[in-house]
Amino acid sequence: MNTVEETVEIDVPVRTAYDQWTQFACFPRFMTSVKRVEQLRPTVTLWVVGLGPLRREFVTEIVDQVPDSHLTWRTLGQRHGHRGEVTFRSTGEGGTAVTVRISAGPRGLTAALTAVPGAAGRVLRRELAHFKAYIERQGEAGGGWRGSVRGGQVRPTEAEPPRSRVPVWPVG
Amino acid sequence: MKKPPADEPRDDLTVTPPKTWAAGVPAVVHALEYSLAQTSPKDTAVDLLTMNQVDGIDCPGCAWADPAPGHRHRNEYCENGAKHINDEATTRRVTAGFFREHPVSELARRSDLWLNQQGRLTEPMVKRPGSDHYEPIGWREALELLAGELKALDSPDEAVFYTSGRVSNEAAFVLQLFARAYGTNNLPDCSNMCHESSGFALHETLGTGKGTVSLQDLHHADLIFLVGQNPGSNHPRQLSALEQAKLNGARIVAVNPLPEAGLMRFKNPQKARGVIGQGVRIADRFLHIRPGGDLALFQALNRLLLEAEDARPGHVLDRSFIRDNTSGFEEFAAHARQASWDDVLAATGLSRAEIEDVRDEVLRSSRVVVCWAMGITQHKHGVPTIREIVNFLLLRGNLGRAGTGACPVRGHSNVQGDRTMGIWEQMPDSFLDALRDEFGFDPPRAHGLDSVDSIKAMREGRIKFFLGVAGNFVRAAPDSAVTEDAMRNCRLTAHISTKLNRSHTVCGRTALILPTLGRTERDHQAGGEQFVTVENSMSEVHTSRGRLRPASPHLLSEVAILCRLARHTLGQGPGNIRWDAFEADYHTIRDRISRIVPGLHDFNRRVARPGGIRLPNPVNEGVYRTATGKALFTRNTWQAPDLPEGHLLLQTLRSHDQWNTIPYTLDDRYRGIHGSRRVVMVNPEDLRALALSAGDRVDVVGVWHDDTERRAEDFEVVPYPTARGSAAAYYPETQVLVPLDSVADISNQPTSKGILVRLERPAR
Repeated sequence: MNTVEETVEIDVPVRTAYDQWTQFACFPRFMTSVKRVEQLRPTVTLWVVGLGPLRREFVTEIVDQVPDSHLTWRTLGQRHGHRGEVTFRSTGEGGTAVTVRISAGPRGLTAALTAVPGAAGRVLRRELAHFKAYIERQGEAGGGWRGSVRGGQVRPTEAEPPRSRVPVWPVG
Repeated sequence: MKKPPADEPRDDLTVTPPKTWAAGVPAVVHALEYSLAQTSPKDTAVDLLTMNQVDGIDCPGCAWADPAPGHRHRNEYCENGAKHINDEATTRRVTAGFFREHPVSELARRSDLWLNQQGRLTEPMVKRPGSDHYEPIGWREALELLAGELKALDSPDEAVFYTSGRVSNEAAFVLQLFARAYGTNNLPDCSNMCHESSGFALHETLGTGKGTVSLQDLHHADLIFLVGQNPGSNHPRQLSALEQAKLNGARIVAVNPLPEAGLMRFKNPQKARGVIGQGVRIADRFLHIRPGGDLALFQALNRLLLEAEDARPGHVLDRSFIRDNTSGFEEFAAHARQASWDDVLAATGLSRAEIEDVRDEVLRSSRVVVCWAMGITQHKHGVPTIREIVNFLLLRGNLGRAGTGACPVRGHSNVQGDRTMGIWEQMPDSFLDALRDEFGFDPPRAHGLDSVDSIKAMREGRIKFFLGVAGNFVRAAPDSAVTEDAMRNCRLTAHISTKLNRSHTVCGRTALILPTLGRTERDHQAGGEQFVTVENSMSEVHTSRGRLRPASPHLLSEVAILCRLARHTLGQGPGNIRWDAFEADYHTIRDRISRIVPGLHDFNRRVARPGGIRLPNPVNEGVYRTATGKALFTRNTWQAPDLPEGHLLLQTLRSHDQWNTIPYTLDDRYRGIHGSRRVVMVNPEDLRALALSAGDRVDVVGVWHDDTERRAEDFEVVPYPTARGSAAAYYPETQVLVPLDSVADISNQPTSKGILVRLERPAR
């Protein structure tokens, strides 16, 4: 399993950086290799990524998530599998160090990238720079999800989050 | 295109070995054969190529979810869906001349198959008191007649408004609004008879009445249970999801009293391996369970999991999930540990080794989905069985995570949406308050009647007016003779229908047929061409838009009929209801829905997006809206049915060539039964014990604790690998054997499974 890790220091507080990161559907705005993200539920997202003419689609599950601290994910299914982690750490000067680590399985686009020395690191570095530029220019997050996830299960922050206000009466 | 049959098809049984795989090339051939017998090649192509596509027609055949936009096949339907849609798109027509030729008393002797094959209804018809004929009636006169009857009732609660799951969200919303504005909550529906047990069990234990899974969950599960369901015939598109799951490495355990073809192997006709190859094996394990033994099975599995945790503490159960998200674990565990193996083995007909093997499958799987259908819900202990399934899922945290969850597989295409729209006789005050606030009238609060209680009330004369929107209530309901007497006891019965069925022939003193547009047809209103919306089994709300020219210029849409009936009955209003605006433009209905039904805010804009709206499931958000605010473990008890010597437990089921109450032919290709539906399938060893053999003619006689004899006459015995002690026969022919009082505990759902019967050689 090949692993890449990159860190970027961002000139916004941890909470701002973290909150913006939770807005996955916005990633295509600033990450050039992310073409589309659809959030199916708080822990499950569908990603379409591309490099040049290549396009790959995969579904990820957030396994663990603690607000203002970290988030780990894994792809579902056996193809194009990878695991990832992003951590948010205060730099002590009001800024945030964002570290992303991705471990790729034996197959798929991520695996191919990580197999080429330096390639995956370059892509990751570039995308983190895009994230940095975006959130620093914005100055505030365009939203934020403050729930946490443990073992793939959501721990909501409030008894009845807005998204869960749906019909719950019995369906025959 | 073929003409409708003049005579009943000849009943001539031949039996061949049951199939061991489903779909493949024969499915395509049979679908096209039936479609082209009903309608033109052009209309067949239009239907099939727009079916289940974005902005196309939602197949009315079942409620299985569509793949995400961009992932759909050009042909995104199954054999049964193709037959169903072209059965509606048929070029055959039932006209006033037909009714002049055929008196109601004659039609009442016709089979379901013959009635359906006559074609589409084309103009409103009325049967007046004392007459034996339907005769044409204008729309205005028909609606005034209905409104006059409604206004003449002593109480609004003397009327019932029945809904079948084909009805769109818009029509369902208008219907419930009308019923409540008129003054009653008498809104029975087909849900009362299919998944009511699921709704009650899930609502109590998880705080939501809906299933928790999406297609992605099935695709990425490690282990899938298919319990009491036959996807090959009843939800064939589920097989594609199961195929994907298998290709991703999932294991499947099928639990059923019959070894159905679709549980064994699937040949996907859209893939080379399905056309020229062996297809994909579906079930890795098949548990040949006795009808009704499922509760005992899951209780035994739960006991085994608890014992495995004892042996390896911290490695089997999801302790942190149980601690943080559930309540009632200790009481449940103490109860489950007492499950007696002798009782379990007797109830299930399985061996302990088989159940322990499944336990091992579970222990090897970190992501488990359980699917079920009416093989569970239609038992007396359907609700406790589903609660025990929930216990099973909770033990290892198989809820709220990707690749896990509870999956009640629903049949009618919008049965879930109709409930979301408020078609339920027991709607909570929160919904009724929202109706009041939006429309400015106070809806009735007393609970109304469900299907079973409606029949009882009709029989006793407490209900005088019956309006059915879609469906075939008389055949879908239990205890056919009792239901028919009840219908005939009404002062007026009316049905909003596309095709002729028995409910039109077994009717009140006055009867109306109100013909309506089908899903396949364009719906032009004053506000322009309309679309409707539906909600599938996985809580995805999306559009459906017909493409064909209506079967007759005299058809009105369901929404239009209901709005006009409301206007004739109530005038505009009450409050600020504007029925004419609703009829003119369904966007105005959805605007109102968006302010009443939680989760459907901004309905018009969001539903128009490809794929529509995915309603979140609170369980997947970590929210359990139960009495304790957590998922509930429950203690469930069961009693093995008393099975005296010489008796069998009957389950009713559909044939492969059938949609709900309507058979398309007399064949059941997968089970190898051709040319007759009056067959009773019995295990060969039971036949030997009963001194019966293949081809014997018997009456199937129900055994129940009242004085009524329930007899389904003249059935042919077919040896079939049903579980020992059980038999199977087709629905709705054997609905006559299901006593009206035989209902599932808690849900009041008729028990069309596990009916105690004996087979009698007729004295004739």
